[in-house]
Amino acid sequence: MEILNAGLQTTLQGAPFTGHRHLGMPAAGAADCLSLALANFLVGKPQGAVAVEITLTKATFRFSTPCSIGLVGPAEYIRINGKDRPRHETLTFAAGDMLDIGPGRTGCRTYLALSADLEAESLLGGQSTYLAAGLGGFHGRALRNGDIIPLSRTSLAPNVARSTPSNLRPHYSDDHVLRITPGPEAGKASEEILKNLCLRPYAVGARASRMGIALEGALLRGGQSSDMPSAAVFPGTIQLPPSGQPYLLGPDAQTTGGYPRIAQVIRADRHLIGQLAPGSRIQFVETTTERATDIYRDKLALLSSWLGQIKLW
Amino acid sequence: MAEPDPTIHICDDWIHIGLPDRKMVPAVQTALTAGDHWTEIVPGLDSIAVQFDPALISPDDAAESLRDRLAGKPPRLKESENIVVIPVCYEDNLAPDMKYVAEKLGIPPISVPSWHTAQAHRVAMLGFMPGFAYLESSEEIADIGRLVSPRQLVKAGSIGIIGRQSCIYSFDSPGGWPIIGRTPLRLFDPAKPRPALLSAGDTVRFESISRHAFDRLQQGQQQ
Repeated sequence: MEILNAGLQTTLQGAPFTGHRHLGMPAAGAADCLSLALANFLVGKPQGAVAVEITLTKATFRFSTPCSIGLVGPAEYIRINGKDRPRHETLTFAAGDMLDIGPGRTGCRTYLALSADLEAESLLGGQSTYLAAGLGGFHGRALRNGDIIPLSRTSLAPNVARSTPSNLRPHYSDDHVLRITPGPEAGKASEEILKNLCLRPYAVGARASRMGIALEGALLRGGQSSDMPSAAVFPGTIQLPPSGQPYLLGPDAQTTGGYPRIAQVIRADRHLIGQLAPGSRIQFVETTTERATDIYRDKLALLSSWLGQIKLW
Repeated sequence: MAEPDPTIHICDDWIHIGLPDRKMVPAVQTALTAGDHWTEIVPGLDSIAVQFDPALISPDDAAESLRDRLAGKPPRLKESENIVVIPVCYEDNLAPDMKYVAEKLGIPPISVPSWHTAQAHRVAMLGFMPGFAYLESSEEIADIGRLVSPRQLVKAGSIGIIGRQSCIYSFDSPGGWPIIGRTPLRLFDPAKPRPALLSAGDTVRFESISRHAFDRLQQGQQQ
């Protein structure tokens, strides 16, 4: 597969790395694991198979071998040799065909899954790209114009032709509701912190990456502590640095941090973090851990009717 | 002897365990490794967090299981006996902040290597990047602060120092620690069965090497 236009940030991403956070190895993996799973299912692949994650802008690819693809995400259009084709459906490709993927008008990341296997660097039981350390994926980096990713033809996925049921097609929006539970340091300094976090929507600032997102809105006062001993953080943890501007961690978040962890986005909602783009708005809503578990299990039950056994991360 | 109990805080798929004594961290980490539910066990400086899959176990049941495990025999403070010797070149452009650190310490730059190698360091935890180690010195140390503006690029292997903490950068990355030397050793190698050179609890001894030895060792690492 040849990259004609790599766009802003296009990386190979699949399942996250697990079980290595004590070594400082973050999760990485698809920022929106639900869209990845839906795309992989269109080509008969397991939910965590490595696919192409495209961020915000348009991207163009050329295929040297026939294969089928599935595209899921906020991309405005998908064109094969200039002709519009549908998202959320298995599409087939002939050798030499050109694939244009449009920019995302709302939302942030689009996933291109292929029936052929993308050749990616394997480490620690995974193949996703971890950009900060230059590990995994395609030479540990984002794709550039002119890159050629070898496709393996030996392990073609089963031939399928699928179309995602309309009720399971994600609605890509710039307005998000993310449910949270209190973090370990939420109550330490001020009871008001979470109330204020959930009072009015926050906007995603320009400082947004796979590592984390600076949230613009009301500054939160009273929770700061300059001498908190570093402790574990996870994707979806909301930290409160001394500036009072909350910071939401993403899939590439480092494994430990020294800022108070005031809240945690629940696992059921965490895939939405991958669709937050600069300018998106987030309304945080507090819930309980019991309720969060019910929401997560209900979501899995709904998805498993189509995707089979699945988990989100 | 009544040790205060660990405190726990439950999120929907992870639990924070605050420990009364930071020396307990490695022992508790070992005790938890035997459990079935944890997909991650992450030490902090005076805490540990465990992550679980809430489709398989509810947060309350996970916390229950955790309490059982911690209520058993209190993990003995068994210090790790692992001693790792880290060769460091303290010279020239590998030590861009040597002058700053020496001034803070009130000793000439040439004395900093012997001062640094004389201390025992304990690996407090790994974090920031894969294999990046936070070390604590056995000595109380003068107030060496963070750089006013962080560097865009700190080379892998660089040794940083802030107060009584030292650190070793595992990958090229931005960073704000004053740098006093560099090791040719690779801190993280995903191809190895134990990818990280250091583990929490290890004792580290720094050993001063020449630039020539540094270059030779670095070449050896790359082969």
